[in-house]
Amino acid sequence: MVTAAAIDDSSLQLTFVLFLTVVVITLFTALLTAPQRDEISEFYLGNRAMSPLRNGLAMCGDYLSAATLLGSTGLVALTGYDGLMYLGGTTVAWMMVLLLIAEPLHRTGKFTLGDTVALRLPRQQRPVRVALAVCILAIATLYLVAQLVGSVALLTQFTGVPSGTTRTLCVVVIGVFVILYASLGGMPGATVIQIIKAVMLVVGVLFTAGWVLHHFDWNPNALLERASERSGSGLSFLEPGLRYGGTVSNKLDFLSLELAIVLGLAALPHVLMRLLTPRNSGVLRSSVLWAVGLVSAVCFGAGIMGLGATALLGRDTIESTDRTGNASVLLLAHELGGSVLTALLTCLAYLTLLAVAVGLTLAAASSLAHDLYSEVIRKGRASETEELTVARLSGAVIGVLGILLALVAWGANTATLAFLAFAIAASAILPTIIYTLFWRRFSAKGALLSLYGGLLCSVLLATFSPVVSSTPGSFYPEADFAWFPLQNPGIVSIPAGFLLGWLGTVLDKGPAEDASAHEEFEVRMLVGADD
Amino acid sequence: MPEYSPRRDDTPTFPLPHIEHTAPPRISDHPEFHSLRRAQRRFGIRATVLSVGGFLLYVLLSSFVPSVMNQPLFGRLTVGLTLGLGQFVIMGVTAWCHVRHMRTRVDPLARGLRSRLHETESRRARTAASAQGAGQPLPHGTRGFRTW
Repeated sequence: MVTAAAIDDSSLQLTFVLFLTVVVITLFTALLTAPQRDEISEFYLGNRAMSPLRNGLAMCGDYLSAATLLGSTGLVALTGYDGLMYLGGTTVAWMMVLLLIAEPLHRTGKFTLGDTVALRLPRQQRPVRVALAVCILAIATLYLVAQLVGSVALLTQFTGVPSGTTRTLCVVVIGVFVILYASLGGMPGATVIQIIKAVMLVVGVLFTAGWVLHHFDWNPNALLERASERSGSGLSFLEPGLRYGGTVSNKLDFLSLELAIVLGLAALPHVLMRLLTPRNSGVLRSSVLWAVGLVSAVCFGAGIMGLGATALLGRDTIESTDRTGNASVLLLAHELGGSVLTALLTCLAYLTLLAVAVGLTLAAASSLAHDLYSEVIRKGRASETEELTVARLSGAVIGVLGILLALVAWGANTATLAFLAFAIAASAILPTIIYTLFWRRFSAKGALLSLYGGLLCSVLLATFSPVVSSTPGSFYPEADFAWFPLQNPGIVSIPAGFLLGWLGTVLDKGPAEDASAHEEFEVRMLVGADD
Repeated sequence: MPEYSPRRDDTPTFPLPHIEHTAPPRISDHPEFHSLRRAQRRFGIRATVLSVGGFLLYVLLSSFVPSVMNQPLFGRLTVGLTLGLGQFVIMGVTAWCHVRHMRTRVDPLARGLRSRLHETESRRARTAASAQGAGQPLPHGTRGFRTW
């Protein structure tokens, strides 16, 4: 936790004004571009005629959360090499989306992932849709809570540990903005805020990284040298093992985290939903390429910023402000550009977590409305107006749920919550996607088993891990029921999810799906309907 | 089961006399379809294993053989840091190869099959229409998405 206020009052006021200005402007734009008619396709998919660059910006905006901007930069500042490796994983995650998932999913999808699976397993689509909705809701809620808790952590940088009222106010205000964007704006509104955020993020990070390099006369070696000098650990700052070294379980923990990040991205509900928006698969391909480029640039810049923070401020200053290193970006901004740059980057951080929260809420709302309400409860007979109303209402319900949970768990570690969401996505949803797209025999029982099993496995392992008990940083430091040694369940739960999917399919003795369903699915997946 | 509206509304209404009554060949039996599937899947899996697996290998190497990764190359740049930068290069090259592969090997095949598919479909529509009389432009169960 944070011990002292990091930044002065003037930049707090400037941040406040800047943030409100940006939010008001984007909110107006979002409401103006909101769906005019009661058409669900417009609410779910937004403007489908967008150019690849704008789609790519929106994908980048959906993906990069405040955890990347603040958390991983802090990780680089404190642990050097290990932090840089983590940033690499954040970027590499997009390769799987580009190479395997994006285009087949786009060709076979309609509004949600449930539609793709229903096309493949038409007979038993209802239970699978329910399972998908449950998993998506779990992931979205966890990640949403992480963003809202992050907003409190960010406020702490300015005011010290906030009072109960300030905390509640902060979470409620951000939460209400999220609900307004998601429920009223729908996908068009979310796209507006994603693009604005992504542009600000790319420009802000690259500008600051450039400033750091300029400080060292564009000599990366000087930056590395100075960073390792002031890191307090000398040369080992540029060697692996500072954060995830020592014991074997520590090293496995890091591998587990990287596995969840690299594989989890392709199964995050808001990213999946964003993949369906481009007009055709040609546009989608260029969009994902843009996203890969933009995410790489931001991660690269974040690495330089982290090294710069250590080089310019020294480890002691960063660590004494915030033990997790989350303050490093803001401290660096203060050192380089005074209160103006600090205010800009803080505003950017707030906008980042707001935008990611909007994307998540929208994805969860669309899954509830489309998969659960329209296809399961009303069995496909709901009118578009009805479904749209349910989608807006579920957006509000999920937002309120997120606010309440964030108020209860405000002391939780943002990164831990986000990593758990990634692990659930990779172990519950990814097996179903991969098997649906590439395995002829895959059956509904396999899908159900891998969805529920992967979800349960990752949640249970996290419950019995040091995250919840036994260490000073966990939720219940006094209790000790942590028999699972790793903080990240991915290395066990991801293979378990795939195994359960295979097992369920092999053991499925029920009536098989129509062979023509798979044939038709494959034709759609490869040949596609769009030209 | 979702009811998707027919894919194309502009199905040609002119008759195709010489092939009217033969059973239309299924697109999934077509040899080009198989080579399309192979071309797309093989490259996708190989490239994913190379880029994602390469990265995970890098993580493993960094964790378990730090002595190799810590050898200095130039100045403060070690083998590990260079390999980390190399990941970005690998990603760029893989993405470029992917785009080139899709453009030269996959897209032309898909385009050819797509036009064949439209042809078959309109033929099927003709058969169904002549069997049921006029009224239903596409047989039930031909699931197609609207192009928005």
